[in-house]
Amino acid sequence: MPSPTELDPITVEVQWNRLISIMDEVDIALVRTSFSTIVGESRDFAVIMLDRQGRSLAQSQLSSPAFTVHLPITVKHLLEVFPVEDLVPGDVLITNDPWIGTGHLPDLCIIMPVFIDGAVVAFMACAAHVADIGGRLDFFDARDLFEEGLRIPPSKLWLAGQENMQLFRIIEANVRVPDMVLGDIRAIVGAEGLGLDRLVEFLSDYGGVEAFHALAEDILNRSEKAMRQALSELPDGTWSYDLDADGFKTPLHVRTTVSKRGDRVHVDFTGSSSQFENASINCVPNCTFADAFYPIKCSLTPDLPNNEGLFRPLTVFAPEGSVFNTTFPSAVKSRSKTSFHINVAVYGAMAGPMPDRVQAGSGSFWAITLHGTHPDGTVFNVHILPNGGKGATATMDGLPTIAFPYNGTVTPTEIIENQAPLVVGYKRLIADSGGPGRQRGGLGQEIELRVLGEGSLVASLRPDKVRFPPPGIQGGEPGRAGRFDVDGEVVSVEPRTLQPGQAYHMELPGGGGYGDPRERPTEIVARDVLDGYVSVVAAREHYGVAVDPETGKAERLSD
Amino acid sequence: MSEAMNYRLGFDIGGTFTDFVLVDERSGRAFLNKCLTTPDDPSRGVMDGLGPMLRDSNIAGEEIDIAIHGTTLITNALIERNGARTAMLATSGFRDVLEMGTEVRYDIYDLFLEKPAPLVPRKWRYDVEERLDKDGNVLIALDEASLRETAAEIRRHEVEALAVVFLHSFRNPANEKRAREILAEELPQVSICVSSEVAPEIREFERMSTTVANAYVQPLTRHYIDVIEHQLRDMGYGRRLFLMISSGGITTSETAKEFPIRMVESGPAAGVLAATYYGRNMGLDRMVTFDMGGTTAKIGLVKDHQATKASVIEVGRVKRFMKGSGLPIRVPVVELIEIGAGGGSIAQVDILGLLKVGPRSAGADPGPACYGRGGENPTVTDADVILGYLDPNYFLGGTMKLDVEAAKKAVEEKLAKPLGMTANDAARGIFEVVNQNMLAAMKVHIAERGEDPRKFYLFAFGGAGPAHAYELARALHMKGVVVPPGAGATSAMGLITTAVSFDFARSFVTRLDAVRWDEIGAVFEDMATEGLAILEDAGIAPDSKGVTVVHSMDLRHKGQGHEVTVEIPKKTYDQRSTEALAELFYERHREKYGHAHTHLAVELVTCRTVVGAPPPVVPLHLSEDPAADSQAVLKGKRPVFFPESGEYQDTPVYDRYRLVPESSFPGPAIIEERECTVVAGPSSQISVDAFGSLFIDILPAVKVGKDHA
Repeated sequence: MPSPTELDPITVEVQWNRLISIMDEVDIALVRTSFSTIVGESRDFAVIMLDRQGRSLAQSQLSSPAFTVHLPITVKHLLEVFPVEDLVPGDVLITNDPWIGTGHLPDLCIIMPVFIDGAVVAFMACAAHVADIGGRLDFFDARDLFEEGLRIPPSKLWLAGQENMQLFRIIEANVRVPDMVLGDIRAIVGAEGLGLDRLVEFLSDYGGVEAFHALAEDILNRSEKAMRQALSELPDGTWSYDLDADGFKTPLHVRTTVSKRGDRVHVDFTGSSSQFENASINCVPNCTFADAFYPIKCSLTPDLPNNEGLFRPLTVFAPEGSVFNTTFPSAVKSRSKTSFHINVAVYGAMAGPMPDRVQAGSGSFWAITLHGTHPDGTVFNVHILPNGGKGATATMDGLPTIAFPYNGTVTPTEIIENQAPLVVGYKRLIADSGGPGRQRGGLGQEIELRVLGEGSLVASLRPDKVRFPPPGIQGGEPGRAGRFDVDGEVVSVEPRTLQPGQAYHMELPGGGGYGDPRERPTEIVARDVLDGYVSVVAAREHYGVAVDPETGKAERLSD
Repeated sequence: MSEAMNYRLGFDIGGTFTDFVLVDERSGRAFLNKCLTTPDDPSRGVMDGLGPMLRDSNIAGEEIDIAIHGTTLITNALIERNGARTAMLATSGFRDVLEMGTEVRYDIYDLFLEKPAPLVPRKWRYDVEERLDKDGNVLIALDEASLRETAAEIRRHEVEALAVVFLHSFRNPANEKRAREILAEELPQVSICVSSEVAPEIREFERMSTTVANAYVQPLTRHYIDVIEHQLRDMGYGRRLFLMISSGGITTSETAKEFPIRMVESGPAAGVLAATYYGRNMGLDRMVTFDMGGTTAKIGLVKDHQATKASVIEVGRVKRFMKGSGLPIRVPVVELIEIGAGGGSIAQVDILGLLKVGPRSAGADPGPACYGRGGENPTVTDADVILGYLDPNYFLGGTMKLDVEAAKKAVEEKLAKPLGMTANDAARGIFEVVNQNMLAAMKVHIAERGEDPRKFYLFAFGGAGPAHAYELARALHMKGVVVPPGAGATSAMGLITTAVSFDFARSFVTRLDAVRWDEIGAVFEDMATEGLAILEDAGIAPDSKGVTVVHSMDLRHKGQGHEVTVEIPKKTYDQRSTEALAELFYERHREKYGHAHTHLAVELVTCRTVVGAPPPVVPLHLSEDPAADSQAVLKGKRPVFFPESGEYQDTPVYDRYRLVPESSFPGPAIIEERECTVVAGPSSQISVDAFGSLFIDILPAVKVGKDHA
């Protein structure tokens, strides 16, 4: 039922789109002025606009999804430390505290208040993974947070328009590539400044501060209503799903129970692993919430621009001290090794009530960091985030090598080679890696990185789904598990110093399939064989189809 | 230069129609013509239209000083996927990059995300041993023996075109060129292009996508341009044929045949350039351009009299309007968004029982049902006839009779019956659905530029644009609609009103403070000399008044991934001052992004030169025979349907050629010219300016409509 304060839909649509376009402009400015591959190429960041209460209103369209859920929580925390009335124009706030921010230290949360006539009316916020934050080079082995790098408590990064030089010097002294990190920090503040200017223009075009606050309320209320409406249309019930994942030294267990009542939904992680004392894969509650929200948003309100109103009907619980609600100072650097399984578990649970809107497990990205020194003494630090295949859905094959649930761009080979002394030997699809199903899982990829020249480099790899492959759904089979080695020798995931000529070889997992593979139409199996996505043998064994690879002639074998 | 120029010819091949403009610069006389595009052999349509136009105007081919051509055939081939059977050859281990792309999802919340299928299926993607390092040094020599074996296999697949894309080839094209030599020997029938020539820029996926698209459209482009050149020569035209490229610049036919992909948006770009030209004359600095033809609608933005530009374009987006859902093509372009919505767009009932319009088009052949050429599918044009917007007896000035009964029959059988409604309601449904499609795209585009539609006029042209513009402007609360004279052939007009200019670029990565000016200067001078020579070929002497040579550099902070283009002022160029350039760069960076890192060194990435002639002065009076009084301009009345009143209204029909300059009259009105029909609804006031342009101002009283979805 429309509330009496509801604004005219045309006004809301035009203005809401304009807020999103402002954030898209901020996004482009950041990409174009950044110095690191992790921001400029991989796009591991989000930029959002929040109202004066720290509630998110709009984000750039390619913002990394989890960050857009973390940032409103971060801003509200920061406002407890720095109440709005104590802020002055030109202040910029920062933190990377995992329990306040995005769950690990490399993500800097940088927030700029927007002032009109001396009062805060909104915030520009960015969470971005910077090239380095000090600490150990590895992804897994820290015993606590203090081994993972520099922690910046809620602080002022800019004071009334001036850089906080002491803080800049502390950061400069604690990271391996200070020019890159400080360059990105300044690029973020510059891009937010552009957003600030655009928002001020917006306010003068559309009736000033009060009209903006009314718009904010309207956007949040409309969004909340839409999410509640979509939830109401699902049957009530409680559904559980269990899965095992690689973890680090010992596997991770994820247990998810989804309860849906009326227009609310609750996700409970009771029964999942306890927090790990010897692995940096623990999740803070912010992360757990963000990754539980994401699959629900994708299924129920995919077309709505994201904002905080959509979060309101969702509650999440995980016992304190569990891997999904880890306590300070647990090690958290590679929390995605845990949080990336949440979407699989939520979809596993919700396959019953909404089979047409769930997805099989995805290969997701592996992080690779290459670090070392060029012959001229300059330090390099390159991030590559290649992806496995996406899980299949009720109507579509999984796409090959694409980001999910995170979103980002893989660093192009030519950029990698321009920045680090190595040669990418190949980067290609792996036949038969997509999980068989009526809809096939997306193919994973294999990549070889070979060290070139005279010097060595340190390669840190963060693989996943090597022991436990991405599961299929509704009768679909799992995707192919990942693998990696150095020159053919199976190695552990610890950072490795690669000598000239040595090569890291990795095979990223394929996505899971959806539905019974024997229901896949014969001609589609044949086409897959001709294109080399599926081998003749796999066509026969998994799909029950004999295909002549020369002619493409195919026939279904009787069971 | 104008003293040397007499006749300028522009012709634009669209998906459905080919448009012609011939202007006598001395007298200001302009001749327009329009005829059906002939997709099986586009040159036939050109000759069909050009011959009669020259005859009627009494101008001989020899008298034409410059012929400039624009085309949408290239975009259409990519969208409709009717280009050549194309194979690709990549560096060993990288053939899948074409399919893997950037690995990003363009819509982060869509579980059912689709990506456009690669133009080359995996079975025709090959690779070969060869490898360069980042500086272009050879790490692995090209394996020529295995390449010849691969060539034998490619031959078996009977491909027509081949794209060669090796890593780092933009630093050293040797391996690509050697591969081309061998492949040309082995596959003499195959058209081959290499990435180091088509798109010599870093980032292998975009370079690959662009080069493959170039290969895909090359055979068809090469063939039809050859034929057109030949026929123009037969008509007596003695100069080179020039083509408009997507950036609004001009190139020679030789270059166009090598790099057809640079013309991917040439016709549409010409339309936007025409809009800027008219806008300058009318004093309108902000316009949304709306070009609706037979196959697609294109929307662009003009701000401060300039068309907005971009360095990459996407073709054939698979998710309506969504950025990232098309094939990326890295060429400089006038920024436009394109939707599969045109007069020929086919309406059908989808599996959910909903009425859908486009993106499939009936094209020119068979065309809409009302063309009477055997088309059985109802289209937007059929609806426009049924709703009274188009006069079946005055389509293309009456040279083509439309069959109303055939239109009604198609709408009745394919839509009205399955949907259980009347043919009239189904026709109205087509009109509203196609308008909604365009509205949604327009809204996103305007919003993405941070602009407010209420401050803009909609500049409408193309065969179907002026008939649909009023409804769009009304829904978006725009100021109104502007329809230029000759709106049915505006793109062709853009071809001849634009300045002839040529762009050159050379990559040159080095620190700015280490630049050797003698080296850089020589590069700039080379590019300038080449440009002036081509200008001379176009009949413009290098020392003519107004000829300009502008140098610029793409610069960045050392360590940054992207550049900012900085124009070099003449003084700085003459002083060879790198300090002044660095200052200019910091200033531009600050302007654009709010900050600059003055403590960091500046890196030069690309040198650019633009050589151009001033825009021609083309007079704009097309009104042939202004009427003595308002009654004489009235051709009659007919019932026309308007969504805002929900009914047919008896509406006056005016003859555009007889409208009195600087007159004004109220809507509703139909204004007919040969190439298009202008529809103005009940809530509008129409005025004619001194040049014959129509302003349809939307009256404020109706700006509270709630029929806008």
